[in-house]
Amino acid sequence: MRLGHGERSAIPVVLFLLAGFAAPLIAVIWFSFMPPRSFSFGGAPTLENYRTIFESSSYISFLWSLGLAFIAVVVLALICYPVAYGLVRVFGRWATLLTLLFTIPLFVSENIRLYGWVLFFIKNGVLLGTLKSMFGWQLESILFTLPAIIFGMVYVYLPFMLFPMTLGISMVPNETRDAAFDLGASRWQVFTEVELPLSMPGITIGFLLTFVLAVGAIAEAKVLGGQQVIPISHDIEIAFTYAQNWPLGAALSVLLMLVVGVLVILALRRFDLDKFLGRR
Amino acid sequence: MANSSRMSRRNFMQQSALWAAAFSGAATAMPGAAFAARDKELNILCWEGYNSAQVLDPFRTSTGATVKAESLTNDPTMINRLRAGETNVWDLINVNNPWARKIMAPEKLIKPLDRAKFEPYFDKMMPAFKAPYKWAMDDAGAELLGMVQRFGPYSFVVNTDKVSRATAEDQGWNLWNDPANDKKYGILESDDWNVFCLCCIAGFDPFKMHSDEEVAKFTETAKRVFKGAKVVGDIATMNQSLVAGEIDFHLTGGTYSASPARADGHPEIRGITPKSGPMAGGKGGISWIEVTSQVNNPDLSPLADQFLEYVQAPDVAHKVAFAEGTFNPVAQMGNPDCFSLFTKEELDAIQWDSLEQEMAGCAEYDIVPDYDKLLDIMTAAKREASGG
Repeated sequence: MRLGHGERSAIPVVLFLLAGFAAPLIAVIWFSFMPPRSFSFGGAPTLENYRTIFESSSYISFLWSLGLAFIAVVVLALICYPVAYGLVRVFGRWATLLTLLFTIPLFVSENIRLYGWVLFFIKNGVLLGTLKSMFGWQLESILFTLPAIIFGMVYVYLPFMLFPMTLGISMVPNETRDAAFDLGASRWQVFTEVELPLSMPGITIGFLLTFVLAVGAIAEAKVLGGQQVIPISHDIEIAFTYAQNWPLGAALSVLLMLVVGVLVILALRRFDLDKFLGRR
Repeated sequence: MANSSRMSRRNFMQQSALWAAAFSGAATAMPGAAFAARDKELNILCWEGYNSAQVLDPFRTSTGATVKAESLTNDPTMINRLRAGETNVWDLINVNNPWARKIMAPEKLIKPLDRAKFEPYFDKMMPAFKAPYKWAMDDAGAELLGMVQRFGPYSFVVNTDKVSRATAEDQGWNLWNDPANDKKYGILESDDWNVFCLCCIAGFDPFKMHSDEEVAKFTETAKRVFKGAKVVGDIATMNQSLVAGEIDFHLTGGTYSASPARADGHPEIRGITPKSGPMAGGKGGISWIEVTSQVNNPDLSPLADQFLEYVQAPDVAHKVAFAEGTFNPVAQMGNPDCFSLFTKEELDAIQWDSLEQEMAGCAEYDIVPDYDKLLDIMTAAKREASGG
């Protein structure tokens, strides 16, 4: 069989994807079927690791990860939509500066930023120390609690929700809004029937991006949450490090990929991204 | 004809598989590079400190070699890197005492050192390390498996402004059996050591095979202790929380973890060795001693030997003790030339005043035969305590 020009040109990309994307993924999947606590690909395949997971309390970590990601996405949507709307329609020339301010933190490592928040929230730290010295208020710190973890996730993933949303809102042509107003639509009608549906591609991408990132989040629960919550990514890390149970870690990873994959596919089917983007 | 060159999903998969096979074949057919001369290259797998520029740069300059040091913060991970086939990557491995003698030597992951060349260095060390030093030797006492340097007691840490040193030493592990202390303590994220500490809290020696009753007691203790923890985190988080008053004491810690806070002007943060406990001879504390061994690398760098000698020099040993990260006593402090390099502040940071007494009250870190089982129980307990 002869390869056409298209296929031949695609060879480098195919190779790159195979080596960089498919191979590690296949390795993880294969490893999940290796005997527990083994370190080679050569063992007799077994479902032992999956049995261990289903018999253990791992579901707690899965639920925490999914639950926290869900909460983070909802909070982010509520915060980001007005900001994104402002960036596109209200702030005018200040929008660039604001965008820059939202982007700059991304240049600093996530861990360093989170440790910064530890110093901010810790007992006698920036926040509580200031309140104590200025007003004599002695408040309990929220550090190492669930709200601190949610705060951390919202803070870290904000740009990943904000920028796709901004893009989505900027995709709504002004003429369409004006036409809707001219035809007698109220502000609310323009929002729900014109702006929201037309900016849906950006919003959906924002939802998916933050959800997928947040499900794999680990640093927020570790640093700000003081491990009061053990998300699934932390369980995976323990399996690969202290427990030295790579097959178990691989099986947990495969299950996480499956759960997230199914949720993303369901979401995509519901929102039909292709249709949105194609309609543009 | 256009159709014939269009790829169906099926033949795309077939071709992809062929390409993958060809690619992996090509990768394994190029072993030559792995056996190049390595006289200007040294790879070290170690705990942090040995990878610092202060320690490595003078060696790099004097030898002109490329020295790569990767630091990890738990022993099992390092050992398993060798087990997973990285013996042809690394030249030196620096882990805690039992691994060389009990695991790496029997598994042929490391190779012995020249006794005639290295044993004289032990004579200059502190008295406890005189040759033949148990943890540096193989089981038969015939082969020298590594060199020792950093060591320390490692049980738990208190803020002495909140719990006095005397109370902490007397109460020992029972601090964690007192319900009044719930949410007053943290747990250092050092899961292998936490297994040892939970055994001590449960009232039995960690370094032996455990009975079903002991495992049941361990399970109950792990659940209770993790449920009562205010925070689980790294050394920086523990020290920060102790200094800020978020917690009063934390599990798993000692000179190694408390020294950065002490050096930073917080002498109230102090590693504690309990006066009594469940270990052999009624000892209450646990200590560690690092052993650095030559990896059984088929193409070992000749610089491995040289580096082990280099770190014995008094000034380098002092740098190792106070390299970035954590500060620790070193066996070479037995040599007056090395000891004189330590300032009073440095000696305070590493709790020199009580070091000898603490080491005497410690059982030495050893392999836990049923570690895997206990770790799984502890991991589940930690997960089940999720949400506070």
